[in-house]
Amino acid sequence: MTLANVIEWLVKGLVWVLILLGGFAYLTYYERRALARIQVRVGPNRAGPWGLLQPIADAIKLIFKEEFMPARADKLLFTLAPIITLTPALVITAVVPFGPESASFQLFGRTITWYIADLNVGVLYIMSIASIAVYGIVLAGWSSNNKYATLGGLRSTAQMLSYELALGLSFIAVIVLANSTRLLDIVEAQKGMWFAVLQPVGFVIFLIATLAEVNRAPFDMPEAEQELAAGYHSEYGGMKFALLFMAEYDKMIAICTIAASLFLGGYREPWFLRDTVLGVDQTPWLGPLYVFIKVFILLFGMIWVRATWPRIRYDRLMAFGWKILLPLSLALVFLTSIGMLLAEQVNPLYQWGIPLASLAAGFIAILGMYQTLRRKEYARA
Amino acid sequence: MTAPAPVETLDLAARFPGWVTPDSRPGYSGWIVEKDKLLDFARALRDDLGYDYLSSVTGVDYLPEGKMEVVYHAYKTTGGPGVNFKVQVERRDPVEVPSLVSIYPGAEFQEREAWDLLGIKFTGHPDLRRILMWEDFAGHPLRKDWREAYFEEEFKPFKSRWPEGKFQMAEDKARLGDNLSFPAGFDPRKKTDFDPEKALYEALRQYQKTESGLETEHLLVNIGPHHPSTHGVFRVAVVLDGETIVNLKPVMGYLHRNHEKIGERNTFLMNMPYTDRLDYLTSMSNNFGYALAVEKLMGITPPERAEYIRVMMAELTRIANHVWAIGFLLNDLGAYFTPMLYAQEERELILDIFEAVSGSRMMCNYFRFGGVARDLPDGVLEKVRDLAFDRLPRKVDELENLLADNEIIRARGIGQGVLTAEDAIRYSTSGPLLRASGIPYDVRRAEPYSIYDRLEFDVACRPNGDIYDRMMIRFDEIRQSLRIIQQTVKQIPAGPIMAVKPAYQVRVPPGEAYGRVEGPKGELGFYIVSTGKSSPWRYHVRAPSFINLTAFGPMCVGQKIADLVAILGSIDIVLGECDR
Repeated sequence: MTLANVIEWLVKGLVWVLILLGGFAYLTYYERRALARIQVRVGPNRAGPWGLLQPIADAIKLIFKEEFMPARADKLLFTLAPIITLTPALVITAVVPFGPESASFQLFGRTITWYIADLNVGVLYIMSIASIAVYGIVLAGWSSNNKYATLGGLRSTAQMLSYELALGLSFIAVIVLANSTRLLDIVEAQKGMWFAVLQPVGFVIFLIATLAEVNRAPFDMPEAEQELAAGYHSEYGGMKFALLFMAEYDKMIAICTIAASLFLGGYREPWFLRDTVLGVDQTPWLGPLYVFIKVFILLFGMIWVRATWPRIRYDRLMAFGWKILLPLSLALVFLTSIGMLLAEQVNPLYQWGIPLASLAAGFIAILGMYQTLRRKEYARA
Repeated sequence: MTAPAPVETLDLAARFPGWVTPDSRPGYSGWIVEKDKLLDFARALRDDLGYDYLSSVTGVDYLPEGKMEVVYHAYKTTGGPGVNFKVQVERRDPVEVPSLVSIYPGAEFQEREAWDLLGIKFTGHPDLRRILMWEDFAGHPLRKDWREAYFEEEFKPFKSRWPEGKFQMAEDKARLGDNLSFPAGFDPRKKTDFDPEKALYEALRQYQKTESGLETEHLLVNIGPHHPSTHGVFRVAVVLDGETIVNLKPVMGYLHRNHEKIGERNTFLMNMPYTDRLDYLTSMSNNFGYALAVEKLMGITPPERAEYIRVMMAELTRIANHVWAIGFLLNDLGAYFTPMLYAQEERELILDIFEAVSGSRMMCNYFRFGGVARDLPDGVLEKVRDLAFDRLPRKVDELENLLADNEIIRARGIGQGVLTAEDAIRYSTSGPLLRASGIPYDVRRAEPYSIYDRLEFDVACRPNGDIYDRMMIRFDEIRQSLRIIQQTVKQIPAGPIMAVKPAYQVRVPPGEAYGRVEGPKGELGFYIVSTGKSSPWRYHVRAPSFINLTAFGPMCVGQKIADLVAILGSIDIVLGECDR
């Protein structure tokens, strides 16, 4: 590890953090405009052309707001909590590659790659960092000395615990398919076919679990505006609130980037474009663009869900996580492993048994949900 | 329409000799019950005669006679005219009347209100605290000898604002008011130990028992008055076990302005725009109820065309209110504004019609005693026709398609917040809340007013009494309202719109009247006592939002916090009416 190495990491990290922060600002704009479109409104269109300066106006407002702290709040934790929440959201994407090795370029005599760190346990890194973020929320809720906030923090803990497992297991399915935990390998392994196609139900589980992980609707229990006012950040205002807000939106971006890498081929082109001029092998600099497009579409999915779905009740959320998602994702790991074993030992065509088995498992799960959970919940008194 | 005449059909004096005497004051009807026999009488009325629904409880302060009167209106949920019975007591503190909560639990809030505003002590009431005023308020404002600090005159229009138009604020003339009094030994510089919240928390505490045997503590959370989903400044003090509700007490009155006292100072006509402010989403229905009550006293009937216009407007109001209620229920369930904004689009179109006929979108002030203020302008009837025959049926189907089968809405709604049919009657709930519990009780059919007896429509009813049914019944009611509007559009005759010459000052003969309409939120009643003067002696509003909340606590116990919000949304309250 030389000094030049450190400087390279620092600069890359800084650039990526700035991209994330800018991305957060314009994600709020994107969300507000998209929500407005869905809700037959116009959305912010006053500040700047098409309202493009709206995020900047919001930022200025938040910076100049009074820093307020409740009288009996735990001062240290209250200040620390937004930082603890934001940091994981910023560092989690350090291992995600944004372009192929062939897109690396020369700068000051060094080869600059399109990723910040090339960890051979990249997936594990993501898992571990993702679970740290919840500490910030719990501490924010607890240190506020507010009952809504405490309830929000508690909900967040329980929710995180139950969805972390399903999330981890859907990671394992990907690891088995790619035969590696290094993200670069995982992305390259999707050259032939995206894992979202090979393991569709795993992808859906991943999306559901990440919605819960980043506290987005309909799993926004810790905030639950209609129930807990603003949940864990009820007492936050000004820049501290902005940090919490930033963490939430950066987590969205991060998780979409990860989803794109794990299931949608990351910087790889869609598989049907592999041998055309639009392929990443032919035109390497298209890689970052593909990541951007995929993230953009995934983000729209999140916004769409928020705009259209009511919130499910907290205990139902837990029941769904433990009774449906966890067994289902366990079954998927099992099925994926068998499929890969058969494909390697007998015939590569057996690979296509995985999506079929996956869909069948998903179908059985839905049937089970319909038969047991749904029946019970719909029983009239 | 003339006043219903229960006197002929039901001779209570013969049935309960010695207990009950007919009310023989001119212009009055009903029965005067002996105070000591009130409980027995009410029990017999409910169990033997079938008057199971206590619609309204209120008090009247007859200062010149030195009497206080408690007035009850009871009805049968099978329909038909009601029974109006009264208890008279000497106007000497403490004014005590036995509480009817044990027989009609729906009287709970109304008796608290009568205690709060009139100082009538209901002995045997389980939780007799102030409800609209705050706990350390001095006096009972609806008593005729109570005067506020800046008291000017007994009746409007005040001389200070009339006739020269020189406007001088009363508070400028006397900085602290002429009528300020302090309790003995009061020193404003010293802090008092009085905790206005203590009584509330004491009332909650008696239910706080842990059952699991673990050393756990219940959590007391105040939801509101500033909370995104209490639909205004409504507050619920909730005792939680984890996230499960153990007990709760609604706290209201944050928007209280003593509507009734102001109403008793206003002239009769001045109250018409004032009723708009009760439930500000349904001003046409509020006008309707008040106009009916006063017309009963005056003995006039509006002309045919006015009746059709009234019914058309009232039903449009119902649709506007119900799409709003559905939208906000969805909002309370956590759908981020999208269903609400879709629903609101239709409401705006209806408000366009209100604006065309009355000049205002929300505060319509459209009804007059004996008719309506203006005739329909050109083109409005076509607009209503387009809405009623084409756009609204389509849009209601669309909304229902989007919402009725949504998995989350079903999971959140079905079997949650159940109100059984028996409880719905006992707690005097009304409107969609009552009908979603399987009681097809609708004032428009039970005791038809205006031209409803000539119109063809069904009373919407759903059997299960849960959140989901309360949402779906609103769709059913919108469809029935559309049927009514379609008929009125087809049948509306030409003709005058006022039965009498419009006048600023109406002559209302002495007497009492109870006018009730089926408002969108439930049974909206106006109890008016006139002494022949320009202002009503007593002006009482039976607010459905307020009385429906009686059932709120029992519905929520055992549910989660998230359900509390949804249940409140499914009751559909408006604080302007609830707090009055």
